[in-house]
Amino acid sequence: MGIIKTKEASWQSGVAKNITFIVTKDCQLACKYCYLVGKNEKEQMSWETAKAAIDYILSHEDEFREESVIWDFIGGEPFMEIDLIDKICDYLKTEMFRLNHHWFNSYRFSFSTNGINYHTPKVQEFIKKNISHLSIGITIDGTERKHDLNRIYKQNNPDGSEHGSYQDVVRNIPLWLEQFPGGSTKVTISSADIPYIKESVLHLYSLGIHEVNINCVFEDVWQEGDDRLFEDQLMQLADAIIDGGYYTDYACSFFSENIGKPLDPILENQNWCGAGKMLAVDAAGMFYPCTRFAGYSLREKKPIIIGNVRDGIDKNKLRPFLTLDRTTQSPQQCLDCEVASGCAWCQGENYDAAETSTVYQRATAICLMHKARVRANNYYWNRLYRKLELEGQREEYEMNKREVKPVDC
Amino acid sequence: MLQYLVILLDDTSTSYCHYGVNKKERKLISLDHLRQGIRLGMVENLMIQFVYPDYNLPQEYLDVIDTIDHSNIKPMAALDNDTDIVTIDGWSYDASKLKDAVVALLTSWKQLNENHGKLKDLLAVVQRLNVVITDVERMSDSDREQYKVVLETLCKDVEALYVDGKSPQLNLLTDRMMLSAMNNCNAGDTTVTLAPNGKLYICPAFYYENEDDCVGDVVNGLDIKNKQLYRLDYAPICRKCDAWQCRRCIWINRKTTLEVNTPSHEQCVAAHLDRNASRDLMLSLRSKGTFLPDKEEIKEITYLDPFEIATQWK
Amino acid sequence: MTRKLVGQVTPEEKNEIQALFERRNGLNELAKVLTPDNTELYEKLVTDMGTTGTKFQNWWDTMAQKYRWESSPNGNWEINFDTCEIFLVDQ
Repeated sequence: MGIIKTKEASWQSGVAKNITFIVTKDCQLACKYCYLVGKNEKEQMSWETAKAAIDYILSHEDEFREESVIWDFIGGEPFMEIDLIDKICDYLKTEMFRLNHHWFNSYRFSFSTNGINYHTPKVQEFIKKNISHLSIGITIDGTERKHDLNRIYKQNNPDGSEHGSYQDVVRNIPLWLEQFPGGSTKVTISSADIPYIKESVLHLYSLGIHEVNINCVFEDVWQEGDDRLFEDQLMQLADAIIDGGYYTDYACSFFSENIGKPLDPILENQNWCGAGKMLAVDAAGMFYPCTRFAGYSLREKKPIIIGNVRDGIDKNKLRPFLTLDRTTQSPQQCLDCEVASGCAWCQGENYDAAETSTVYQRATAICLMHKARVRANNYYWNRLYRKLELEGQREEYEMNKREVKPVDC
Repeated sequence: MLQYLVILLDDTSTSYCHYGVNKKERKLISLDHLRQGIRLGMVENLMIQFVYPDYNLPQEYLDVIDTIDHSNIKPMAALDNDTDIVTIDGWSYDASKLKDAVVALLTSWKQLNENHGKLKDLLAVVQRLNVVITDVERMSDSDREQYKVVLETLCKDVEALYVDGKSPQLNLLTDRMMLSAMNNCNAGDTTVTLAPNGKLYICPAFYYENEDDCVGDVVNGLDIKNKQLYRLDYAPICRKCDAWQCRRCIWINRKTTLEVNTPSHEQCVAAHLDRNASRDLMLSLRSKGTFLPDKEEIKEITYLDPFEIATQWK
Repeated sequence: MTRKLVGQVTPEEKNEIQALFERRNGLNELAKVLTPDNTELYEKLVTDMGTTGTKFQNWWDTMAQKYRWESSPNGNWEINFDTCEIFLVDQ
């Protein structure tokens, strides 16, 4: 046996600036759990805006001292704007080189796509052209029935039934895995998905996806009893992974040794979320601390705009984000929580759900789900350790185990 | 804990702080609201500060006001023997009328730069002078360089008065020397404001900026959401800061950073220039003899904006 | 294909080759975009490709000499950027 497979650390984690182009607010799909409440077909980024954003960012190297950069493209569905993306990436490469910018030695282009257009000639041409600098994740939620429960087309079938996207995505998975053998997928769980978690993770493994990152939505969508169902599903999944021996080659982010412990208020006081350390720009040329603070992501609150491509960044607007810590934004129940580690939050959802216009009020809608996850996680590790012990492999595992970093949003 | 209630007696009541009064028409608080405000002060054990307009109030108002212990903030035009704090908007004043007064002088940075030479005479007369730079959040880097020079001049003026045996109080320079801990505005924490419309606000600035931005009313009481964020211990930059004299204006915080608990770069730098000038003044006075022996020396620091070192605190 | 651990470099040495590796990839992908009519940048690119290629090879030569890694006629050395380990990969 080698080591137990855990989530791969993301590229240059902690030292890379994440800069997101919201190239379009349009998408072929209308996923039921999507937090983007303001998607539309009108707001596509123009080349002029993209260029102005790049020119601003690259000409202010002193304000962007991070060692590396991840140029992130998001939508809607980013590959609907592949021509623009191609032009942006060519310009970025050329300008980083022309300006002798330190990021030319350390950059990636990153995409999170619904996978529908993945096979098209334009997308494939783009991939071949930039293959050594690409990170592409395709979102597939699991089995066909789980995936199609949420990830449906905007237009219904002619008979009025919902048009699921599973078939159009799954056909592209082999090509994607051939091009990105370590490809991971991101699965989102909301209330209706809970009964399908086990079968979905196993299905994704069977498709050849070795790393499945899952998170429950942060919004307050949970029904009474969901936590018990969730715990039960995760325990079934734990049994399947352990009994099937998947733990050596496959990872599922639900199970981590680092979660479910109390946190020290001083030594473990860092913010979970990277909002403010990231930068997002939209079609209007406005800058945001993260895409979640753009208008199309917010149900209740006004967008938080921290500048624009003409005037640059208002650093005063970034100060609250960069000084956020865990204890200042957490209610007492979280500070006293005995299983606090691994309980995530999204700064954008915190802001949207807060009683006042602040990023300093942590939303707790996920509380019971986290606690359920911790119980199932404890079960998983207790069972796995016992199995390793009985098989005489525990010592080897303890010696080789890797430190696992928290899952990014 | 709530300790103070500011009551704006009229829409045109004088400003005594960073905000401007954008209402031009007189609109007195109703007698009912005034009585309810006073009742609130009594039942909550609050010290009431009445803020006056520049005209005489009807006698019936004065009678109601007199039903509780209070202090009065009045504009220069309404200055009388019953004034606890007099506000001066700009640099036209008759210093002879200000003997032993507590004065809040509201000035733009430009005016302060041009007129700061006049402050020595005023300081010699008044009991205390609060200089409020009303556009502190718009001061540029070069303005702040010049502000440093202004503070150096004021330091010499204050020092000369001390040497003359006087005890001048100028908020920008002497407060920090006297303090042993943070002493800020504390709006929303220890102080709230009752406006003429009968509603409660974090401070007068919130009322003048947006009447809908209230935190309760005088009938139903106070309802401040996320109240903890107005406290010092919920302000990540300020709670570690030692510019104890800083006004820490909640309203400017929200205007510039969108959060009530986070100060802008400009506010921090101005407060630290004051702090550092206080340090110089204290050292200089101590070089001439015993001065505030029970107070610790103000430490030398390398930054003007504590945000610069904030990441080290985490 | 066989893969055998034959040594390890320091993190600083790893950083050097990682930066060169990234730069070489960046230059190769930039070459697909730039055309000779963009004379100034094209010449800068060609020069840089030469310089980076030389530095890249020099690093391997220097390190091989320093650490005296095992080699073979049909093999290549590879580095794992996460662990700084050097592997001999035989085709």
